[in-house]
Amino acid sequence: MLPSGVFFTDHAAEAGLLRTLPQRLWLAALLAALVLLPLVAGAHLIGLLTMLCITAIAVLGLQITTGMAGQVNLGQSAFVGAGAFVAARLALAGLPLPLVLPLAGLAAAAGSVAFALPAMRVKGFYLALTTLAAQVMFPILIIRLPAAWFGGADGLGVDPPTVAGIRLGGATAMYLLCLGVLVVMATAAFNVGRSRAGRAFRAMRDNDNAARVLGIDPLRTKLAAFFAGAFFAGVAGALYAYQVRYVTTEQFTLWQSVWYVGMLLVGGMTQPLGAILGTLFVTLLQEMLRSAGGALLDADVGLQGGAIFAATNVLLGSVILAGLIFEPRGLAHRWGLVVAAYRIWPYPHR
Amino acid sequence: MSAVLDVSGLTLGFGQVVALSDVAMTVQAGEIVSLIGPNGAGKSSLLNCLSGFYRPQRGRILFAGRDITALPPHRRAAAGLGRTFQGLQTYDSMTVRENVLSGMHVHMRAGLLDAMLYWPRARQEEARFTELAEEIIAFLELEELRHAPVGALSYGLRKRTDLGRALGLRPELLLLDEPMAGMNAEEKADLARFILDIRDARGIPVVLVEHDMDVVMDISDRVMVLEWGRVIADGAPDAVRGDPRVISAYLGQA
Repeated sequence: MLPSGVFFTDHAAEAGLLRTLPQRLWLAALLAALVLLPLVAGAHLIGLLTMLCITAIAVLGLQITTGMAGQVNLGQSAFVGAGAFVAARLALAGLPLPLVLPLAGLAAAAGSVAFALPAMRVKGFYLALTTLAAQVMFPILIIRLPAAWFGGADGLGVDPPTVAGIRLGGATAMYLLCLGVLVVMATAAFNVGRSRAGRAFRAMRDNDNAARVLGIDPLRTKLAAFFAGAFFAGVAGALYAYQVRYVTTEQFTLWQSVWYVGMLLVGGMTQPLGAILGTLFVTLLQEMLRSAGGALLDADVGLQGGAIFAATNVLLGSVILAGLIFEPRGLAHRWGLVVAAYRIWPYPHR
Repeated sequence: MSAVLDVSGLTLGFGQVVALSDVAMTVQAGEIVSLIGPNGAGKSSLLNCLSGFYRPQRGRILFAGRDITALPPHRRAAAGLGRTFQGLQTYDSMTVRENVLSGMHVHMRAGLLDAMLYWPRARQEEARFTELAEEIIAFLELEELRHAPVGALSYGLRKRTDLGRALGLRPELLLLDEPMAGMNAEEKADLARFILDIRDARGIPVVLVEHDMDVVMDISDRVMVLEWGRVIADGAPDAVRGDPRVISAYLGQA
């Protein structure tokens, strides 16, 4: 909902993502703070935020496939991996980053379509199981392909990227790169949500029979949802390859795919904002518990490392579970309620 | 003048059950044709054959002079066949306006790349179609609710949104499947007025499947009666009302 006194006189302005001056100012301030952060933050925090940006891009893609279009995908991590391996290969071949990112995205997207095409006959749990197969097949495929292609079981090493002749070697440069790509990809995800393709995705999810009768081609729409989601995954994978400088199949596990789904659930499936909030919340929580566990181990209170590790995982799971019970529609929904409450204050109703 | 819809010899069976047998049906431009019959007569089967959910074993469906018998539902929509549904089949997470806009899917061109970049081309198309959607919203008197999520609306308003979504398709023929079911008298009167306006102002012929005989007899130009998968009467409302076969189908054998 908009604050009172904000009106539009044309449809294009009303469809804008940022519709009021305070919204623009707040976002600009947030971005400026994020850009300037490396001046004060330590290397550990910058590294964490870089991975957070990369993860958020993958989860934004999952939001399109699963959240908007309702196609369960337990193989997002495999598509991230596909992007990472293709990016590593292309980077080794000497391609510059501005080409590698979209090509890795397209490669992952093409892979997802090749996989989704036979999977399109099934829905729901069956589709979930089929995407699980993508996750299982991915490492086997990489390892069995000739080692000259993707390095086989050894994986591939990656050099730091160069953009316009400048070598982005440092942690700060990688952070700014990933932040910039996240901003671009998040804008793209929000754009999908407000256009014809996004409406077709949501129509399929809400009522696929009605969607067919209203002219929405089910096969095309589902494939487009996988294509778009995997494109995001591929771009995230390419950034991952540049950031970690080394890719092997062990980095792209089913476990990671499940985490992506968990982040999306916690943040809220129905809007791209949910993907970002969920990634932020879960990643920061993981990190806090990890450092708390480390501190506990250092304090030497008589607990063994294994017990602390198990306890932090149980705690992490409990917090996520509590989130899902008390706000099943996710943090993004709760955020919307807070904004609405602020705007109608001091009146309790609209 | 050639008929908008020309169905002939339509036969549909499920195993040993004959749902439709040798059904013929025509709809002329500007006509409101009602399809009535007792439960299990084959009204829904016929409608589902028309929209492409069922594939008839025999027969032919000509729509605007084109054979659409083998087309899947979404291609029939693109050809100009609009439909509303029994019960609540709106896109509940979307707003009223998004529902109407999604009905315009076949007329819009923006693809996935346009969606992501949202560049001027996509922006302008979106604004142009929003204008058209607003016309339909105004016609259905839903202006106050354009940004309301449809899932939160009352039954009558959701049915009206369903109608708006079908109008977004700019259909050349509109199939309405029991639109009045579950409505109160006032909602029925509103809807009957909208159906007449759709025909009169927009020139869209309508096929109406409906149980409310008062509404059917009031607004139809022609009434077709089905029983056990066969057409037992087809004519003006008054003629059909007095037909002894129709009376016996509805009241049982005298």
